[in-house]
Formats: sequence, C-alpha cells, structure tokens
Amino acid sequence: MIEVVAAGRWTTIQDRGRPGLERYGIPTGGAADWFAAAAANRIVGNQQDAALLEATAIGPMLQFTTDAVVAVTGGQVGEHLGWKPIKVLRGSELVVGTIGPGLRTYVAVRGGIDVPLVLGSRSLCQRGRFGGGFGRPLAAGDRLRIGQMVEQEPATARWPASHRLPQRGPWEVRAIAGPQTDAFAADALERLGATACRVTPEIDRMGLRLETPGLRLQPQEILTVPMTAGAIQVTPSGGLIVLHVDHQTTGGYPAIATVIYADLPLLAQARPGDTVRFRAGDPAEAARAVRRLTDWLRPES
Amino acid sequence: MWSITRAGDRALLVTVGTVIDPALLGEVLALDRALQDRRSVGLLGTVPAYASVLCHYDAGVTDAARLEETIRALEGKLEFAIPSGAVVDIPTRYDGPDLPEVALETNLTPAGVVERHAGREYLVYSVGFAPGFTYCGALPDEIAVPRLASPRRRVPAGSIGIAGRQTGIYAVESPGGWNLIGRTALRLFDPTANPPARFKPGDRLRFVPIP
Repeated sequence: MIEVVAAGRWTTIQDRGRPGLERYGIPTGGAADWFAAAAANRIVGNQQDAALLEATAIGPMLQFTTDAVVAVTGGQVGEHLGWKPIKVLRGSELVVGTIGPGLRTYVAVRGGIDVPLVLGSRSLCQRGRFGGGFGRPLAAGDRLRIGQMVEQEPATARWPASHRLPQRGPWEVRAIAGPQTDAFAADALERLGATACRVTPEIDRMGLRLETPGLRLQPQEILTVPMTAGAIQVTPSGGLIVLHVDHQTTGGYPAIATVIYADLPLLAQARPGDTVRFRAGDPAEAARAVRRLTDWLRPES
Repeated sequence: MWSITRAGDRALLVTVGTVIDPALLGEVLALDRALQDRRSVGLLGTVPAYASVLCHYDAGVTDAARLEETIRALEGKLEFAIPSGAVVDIPTRYDGPDLPEVALETNLTPAGVVERHAGREYLVYSVGFAPGFTYCGALPDEIAVPRLASPRRRVPAGSIGIAGRQTGIYAVESPGGWNLIGRTALRLFDPTANPPARFKPGDRLRFVPIP
C-alpha cells in the first residue's frame, strides 16, 4: 500500500487514456506528458498500460507500507530523485516536493497503481468525475494499492539525459496547418510563427491559454466541429487556446494549426510566463519525431 | 465537395458542410457508419458532429494521403436520409436562471419562451464538449439569443441551455456559456453504462414541461 500523506497541488492517477470515446463527449485523457510517463513506467519495468501518478507544480508526499521500486520523471524535482529506479523501503516516505523547471512530474511504482478500469482506463476523467480511483485528484489519507503490471526488470542505470525532452522554455513547438486554417487570412499562420506567444496562468489538462503580443488574428466563425489535442484554437478576442489531453471533444473556435503528437509533452511542461513559438512542421517530420521518442523508450534487450 | 483537412499528424477532419442542416447530419452519420463498417487499415476511430467527421488514424500503419483516398472514394456514393428515430421525451422544469433575461431579450413572456422551446422536436447533432453534453437543433429563430458574455464557472448537470439556433443539455457539471432556461432530472451520462451517453447524433427528442 501507498498512503498519501500530502497530495501536493494537483495529483491524479493517469495511464495512456481512453481513446475512442470522444463520440460520447469523453476526452482521451491520460498522462499529459506521455513521454515522461512512458519513461517512468519503463524505468520501473512496468507494462506501458500501468497507471502512475501525475503531479502538478507541487508533488505529493507518499508513505509506503511495503518495499517498492519507484521512478520519478518529467518536471524536475531535485536531480538526486529523477529518472532512475529508486528503492523505497517499507515504512519510509517519498517526498516529491516542488516541481520546476517543468510543471508535471510522474511517479511510477513497479507494478502500477491498482485502481479499477473505468471505460477501459485508470485515468481520471476530471470533467466526468470518474476513473483515477476516486473520480477526483488525490487527497491526503487516500490509500493506493500496488498492482502487478510488470513487464521486465527495472532499469539498471539512470535514464540518459540525451534521451529526455527539454524541461524549460522557451518552447519551440511544431504544428501542422489545419484543420481550419482556411478560416484565417492567408498570412495568418506565418504571422503566428513569427510571434513569441506567452503562456497565461490559465493552463490545465484541458488546454493552455496563450497571449499573442502584437498579433491579433481574426478568424471567421465556424460550425462546431470535433477537436483533437494540440488544436491551436483562436478565440474571438484573438487569444489562443491550445487544447491538451482532457480537451473538450468538440469546439466552436477555429484551429489555425495543430501541435504534433511528439510535442504535446512540451506543452505539458510549460509554465505561466513561458514563451511558446509555433514552428510549421510537416507530417514526415512529425512521424520522425514520434519515432525518435519511441526509440528511446524501446525495452532493453 | 467534402473538405478534408489535417487535424495534426494523427487525424483528418472531413467537413461535409458549414451549416446546421438535418440532411448534412444524415450524410455525416452515413459517412461515419461507412468508415466503421469498412474497418480501413490504420483507421482507429471516428467522431461525428453536425457537418463533420474526425478520423483518427495510426500514423505507424497508414498515412493521411491513403486515408484521404479511402474517404474520397465514398464521396457521392453514400445513401443517406434525414435521421428519423423515435422521439424521446425530456421532462423539463422551466425554472432556469436565465429565463427572465431571455424573455426580455426576445420580447416574449417567460411562458412564451417555454412554449416555443417545448413546442417542437429536436434532432441531436452532436454529443461533445463535455461527457454526454447533448447538442440539439434547431431552435426557432424567435428565441435565438447569443451566448452569455462571460461563461458560468459551474453549470449543474441536467441544465438545459440555449445559444444561437441550438439548445443543449449539460450531462455533467461543467463550466458553460449558454443561457439556462430549465433542467431535467434525466441522467444523460453514466460511465458504468454502455453506451455511457444517453443520446447519440441522429436521435430525436422533445422537451416536455413539468411543474
């Protein structure tokens, strides 16, 4: 068992999410930084579907009633703690602490967090108040069972720094034109690319509001359409909302471009005040970028 | 002509029209069904709404060009009709906090607003935004009012709102910018049910006033 002594700012149970249910208004969800989460599972030797903890800004304090092997990845929490297997002895505490640079830190436990599957996933669906064990973020006093979703031995060495994503802005994020680029002036995408966008305090797992100093995009109105994570929506006031994993499944603001899957982890780590630049990417580059990350995650053989 | 555009590196959006129209919804549902029946290689899932269908694909198995070809092959070949299923009654208590304001804006009495809202059948155009949220249309022009200037942080589950030519039912508590005119005790979302949402696009419903 793991007992939550202090929950931190916003700690939830996540896995790879529940794709395929958007037609019911249910976002895919899952770890916001899918790469850091996958790396954490890999380090402790878990199956990739195993659930883990996603901490935000301030991590939890956890007490273990049994020996365990854990890994802490993503947003930085003290270099002694990150990206390697850690043996936690029965009765001892793991203090994740303040996160930064980066915003979200993952804590994987060998075996996974054992909470019931709801609609095929252990992830919290915050909007629907289901999944994630409790239908809410963790709170002090919650007790978590450790599962048996083990695939291989824990890693023997620290995850190489060369195989991690940056944890600090300014962020360069690649985006592909569409789906509603036609709702904008012909030069809009180019002008967006030349703008240093600023992350506002309004960021969560559903999306990030960005300001575009010096740029005012004026889109045409569109009919409500299905939306994807990464969609760079432009609101009538000209601000941006970049949708993330818990995004609303449909939207009425046109998306000028869509952030590629391989760069969603960067947005998961962006903090208020950070600069984001969108760079035009193409599908071939997007495919290479995903391959690069998945190669880093390949099991040791 | 369908517009097929990229929605990132793992999805395509097929847009069959740009207005709320029962025939376009019929076409969308026919396309959605055809894509599901065909089980095209690499197609992971589809999401229909109003006049468009989002197609998620596995970029390791197929690519946008191949998927677009599969979709284009269906253009002009689908048989579709205006959806016409049984009409489901939604028992509705018309006591929403925005009803008086909507009445003022539309030069009607609150009873007049209710009469016009409840007096017709609606088509479900989409389930989206939040879990189970049910978008319906089309609202009569006389009670079409804009969204609230600033959205509410919390709209209770079961709330019934109107915005533009649409009316919708909030299935779970969420933020929301629609004018709330009523509520229903009907449960529209249940994660333990299969399917988890009570309605799907193409369903028809009617709001029935209750005291």
